[in-house]
Amino acid sequence: MIHDGSDKDLLLKPDVCIVGSGAGGSMVASRLANAGAKVVVLEEGGHHTKDEFDMQEPRAYQRLYQDRGNRATADLSIAVLQGRSVGGGTVVNWTTSYRTPDDVLEFWRTKQGSVLTPELLKPHFEEVEQRLGIQKVDYEDTNPNNRKIYDGCKKLGWQVDTTRRNVRGCLRTGYCGMGCPIDAKQSAALTYLPDAVQKGAEVYAHCRVDKIETDGKRAVAAVGAVLDHGEPTGRTIRVEPKVLVLAGGALNSPALLLRSGIDQGPVGKKTWLHPTIAVGAFYEEPIEGFYGAPQSVASHHFAHRPEGAGFFLEAAPVHPMLASIAAPAFGAGLSARMSRLPNLCATIALMIDGFGDGEEGGTVSLRKDLGPKLDYPFTSRAHECFRSAMKAIARLHLANGALEVQTFHNDPVHIKSEGDLAEIDRRPLGPNLFAAFTAHQMGGCRMGADPSSSVVDPQLKHHHFENLFVIDGSVFPTGLGVNPMESIYGVSSWASEHVKAALS
Amino acid sequence: METRRGLIKKTIGGAALLAVAGSVPIALRKTKLREAPRGLKFFTAAEYSIWAAMAERVVAHDPTPATEDDATHTGFMKRPPAPAAAQVDVAGKADAFLEPLPESDRKDLKQLLALFDNALFSVLGGGPAKPFTQMNAVEQDAHLRSWQTSRLAIKRTGFQAMKRLSCAIYYGSPETFASVGYPGPPYELVKSVLRK
Repeated sequence: MIHDGSDKDLLLKPDVCIVGSGAGGSMVASRLANAGAKVVVLEEGGHHTKDEFDMQEPRAYQRLYQDRGNRATADLSIAVLQGRSVGGGTVVNWTTSYRTPDDVLEFWRTKQGSVLTPELLKPHFEEVEQRLGIQKVDYEDTNPNNRKIYDGCKKLGWQVDTTRRNVRGCLRTGYCGMGCPIDAKQSAALTYLPDAVQKGAEVYAHCRVDKIETDGKRAVAAVGAVLDHGEPTGRTIRVEPKVLVLAGGALNSPALLLRSGIDQGPVGKKTWLHPTIAVGAFYEEPIEGFYGAPQSVASHHFAHRPEGAGFFLEAAPVHPMLASIAAPAFGAGLSARMSRLPNLCATIALMIDGFGDGEEGGTVSLRKDLGPKLDYPFTSRAHECFRSAMKAIARLHLANGALEVQTFHNDPVHIKSEGDLAEIDRRPLGPNLFAAFTAHQMGGCRMGADPSSSVVDPQLKHHHFENLFVIDGSVFPTGLGVNPMESIYGVSSWASEHVKAALS
Repeated sequence: METRRGLIKKTIGGAALLAVAGSVPIALRKTKLREAPRGLKFFTAAEYSIWAAMAERVVAHDPTPATEDDATHTGFMKRPPAPAAAQVDVAGKADAFLEPLPESDRKDLKQLLALFDNALFSVLGGGPAKPFTQMNAVEQDAHLRSWQTSRLAIKRTGFQAMKRLSCAIYYGSPETFASVGYPGPPYELVKSVLRK
């Protein structure tokens, strides 16, 4: 059953307590409930269904995202899009589904002592793809916002392909990021969580875990508060499980460990974001990037660059609220850009972070109110990557015959020909001098064989607490170079076997 | 994450600056008040007036096409005019949005607004010796620009905090959709499927 909070204090003693209900938590809940375990899932967000998904940005972001859509790094230089509801990020993501790349798994094995191989994960990915209806998009089903990427890359001889999406009966309305209004998107709230509930799992929405109690060797209890509209009601939660699984995602899982004084190892360190920049291209013909599947094309042509960090190219939906927030301009400059919204093609480049020598990425620590604080300083490696990515995006749109390409600097570079690209190198790239985002949060509780450089072991069990697991994107030792949802599902499916073993 | 949290303390050391600024006569020049609605939950009347004035310039629009491309290709001239920030009640909606913030965030944001409208702080930044709310539109745009592009990272952070929320409220409001050529969500398409 999915409970909408609780009208009394909760004291529960299940076999397994899972904190978080996104791709990681829902998968573990499904697998363990199916194995006969008594499972409790605690989710701080609400339980929202398609009847509430009215495709209006303000309501959707406030209801379905962390910090009511306002999550960001401490200096606001990177806007953080991160889901917060029953189903977690899977309710609001843009459906792009990739297996973890082989070379990334190899890097993890070599550098961190991970045991994950493509062969090990293959059956898990196959099951996930079947359960979520993951299928490759046909070119004909892409919208112009995506098709321009495809066409431009083809003209330039760059690698490009359509993506795979986790949908069934998709209308391609374009509103994936606001919750699918027809339940076409196969989110965790429609798949693995109902699977778990059918097998007896109890899911509690509006229940925030504030702290883990330990006895030095084991996690004894997860304690927290029942919420109403995000505020504590005064009712408390105490769950004393045999095994505790943290699945709150990167940022929230390390913050919970830190709040609980479980700070052995590099908790919160090496947090990866796929830091993302955007470039806009204006076309003579309508693009209408607010409609159509938001992401259906990607280019990984620049994923491996000898010059520095790799990046990959995808599209971003062009709804007015998101577009206006992303645009650094204000006043007449902003309104001029917004007035051309129907003709705007928005292409993003996601930096593949975590593979550079000495690269530190971001750090999660605690705010005064004990919520997660994220810092992610941009390095010269990031700056070089961003500038290269801006030029690449501009080139593909110029190849398509775009009227004009504009960067998202405070003082945008206006590009109408190859000769204008050099100006990108002259624009400063300090915090809040250009727009940067992340929709992919990873790391902070990285897996590894060495307790001094990892938080959980290669089976995702905490190095120091025998019944504590972390199973979500926070365990990834690096960024992925692809959208992370399917990787989280697949790795979580595999790791569920270790949770089962810990129960026995 | 830190939304508005620690914004001022972390960045400008707002309390100290305000204390210094408050001791100088020029800094005592008052906020130009607007008629504020009753029942404000977060803003004082002065803070409401600062936010309203700021939002007005953040979403200000030029009634003429920005470029020849706009006029020729986008149907720009056929669209209804964009409403002003006040018509969308950006400040009132910001008040409602900010009300649930934790106390530390509330305090920081209020300090940010006080600094933003502080005449002495404007002078120190090379601007006119008046509060933002008493500047003309050209001066206000220059003031916003000075915060947006400041060498002090903290001012840029403060600018983004105000700008993003104002934009989210304004451009997220259906009243503004037509002016940017956004037809709105495809309700009929969705209904047709749900009926089946």
